[in-house]
Amino acid sequence: MESKLPSSKFVDQLVVPGDVILDLSNLSTQTIKLGGGLRQDGDSISVMKAGKLRFTKPNKYWVETSQKRYVPSVGDNVLGVVMDTKPENFIVDIKGPALAFLPVLSFEGGTRRNIPKFEAGTLLYLRVVSANIGMNPELSCMDANGKAAEYGILKEGYMFESSTGLSRMLLSSPPHLVLEGLGKKLSFEIAVGINGRFWVNASQASTVILVGNAIQKSESLSLVQQKIYLEKVLKSIQ
Amino acid sequence: MQERSEEEEMVTPGEILGKGTDLIPGKGAYLSRDNHNTVYASLTGRRSLIPPPPDSPDQRPIVEVIGHKAHGPVPEPGCVVIARVTKVMARMASADIMCVGSKSVREKFSGIIRQQDVRATEIDKVDMHTSFRPGDIVKASVISLGDARAYHLSTAQNELGVVSAESMAGGTMVPISWTEMQCPLTGQIEQRKVAKVGA
Repeated sequence: MESKLPSSKFVDQLVVPGDVILDLSNLSTQTIKLGGGLRQDGDSISVMKAGKLRFTKPNKYWVETSQKRYVPSVGDNVLGVVMDTKPENFIVDIKGPALAFLPVLSFEGGTRRNIPKFEAGTLLYLRVVSANIGMNPELSCMDANGKAAEYGILKEGYMFESSTGLSRMLLSSPPHLVLEGLGKKLSFEIAVGINGRFWVNASQASTVILVGNAIQKSESLSLVQQKIYLEKVLKSIQ
Repeated sequence: MQERSEEEEMVTPGEILGKGTDLIPGKGAYLSRDNHNTVYASLTGRRSLIPPPPDSPDQRPIVEVIGHKAHGPVPEPGCVVIARVTKVMARMASADIMCVGSKSVREKFSGIIRQQDVRATEIDKVDMHTSFRPGDIVKASVISLGDARAYHLSTAQNELGVVSAESMAGGTMVPISWTEMQCPLTGQIEQRKVAKVGA
């Protein structure tokens, strides 16, 4: 217990709310960084969200969770649906606790004269600029340098809902097994929002449906099961 | 103390209280500039006469109408109010006014603190989130009556700003500077526009 580095025996294991992962009373003055899902209760660190406890050196702890609800945080790339237009902002739904604002000028070369006309229901790929508790998050269609990059409207295709965990798996490297396998055989384009949404577009609707369903079904499969599932899916398209 | 005489009879809005040559209109009365130059009542209540101070040049008594219902205090431009922040947005914060001076209000009054009225220096660089949070109790001064929805408030002085706030852990925070408050339970420091209390 009196080791130099604080270590919890729960690392890489499933934890549930209420578990105490670290007792600080024995450790001398060290700084421990707590990420999401953890909370300091006096002298003990307890878990707030169910998930896997992760640890990176030297002193960072956090709980990796997956849920349908998204908590906005700065720098995230999200898929948003326009709900309404106001004189200063578009009101966009990003599956968070509050609707987000997209300023009408937050586009590359955006001026008062060329404000885009987005109807309710338009799907956009956006970046979260500010996300403070109690305030509506602010979005942008530009990257940090002011260029359009890949942000903006996503035409055609179909948007699927997923969990935040699946979105992170689709964005991870090495790439998601099923996604990579489908990408080798089929031609489609995909946009993943970290807020639990992803969009697929292809020349044929059947491809879109196939890819979307395959990705959604593969969320709870282990790597081995994913391989088997992928082979089954690819065989069915021949 | 001037001797105020209050009559038994009630007057209603529009009733003539006297001539403009005899009386000065006070609270609840007004002077009508028609050719008759009369003082009318504007409230319902009892008529009350205050005799003029002996050394003033204008020796007309002041007539007032004392409302029969005691109303709670109402915020006026220039007075200091205590308000609770309800919503913080990018360019302004909304607050519910709870006290005017030292008296609590009887009705709901809304106030707005705009980004440029939060502090006196560098007003365009103000981040509303590091100045107020929902639930904070602030001391502010009323700048104007604002619009139909809310009064315009300002915290742009040293003794105005957040008086009491709760941290994210739930403890009442202690001010440590004019921009920071500390939670006694976790030791975390949160940023606010803090009011200078005391001498």
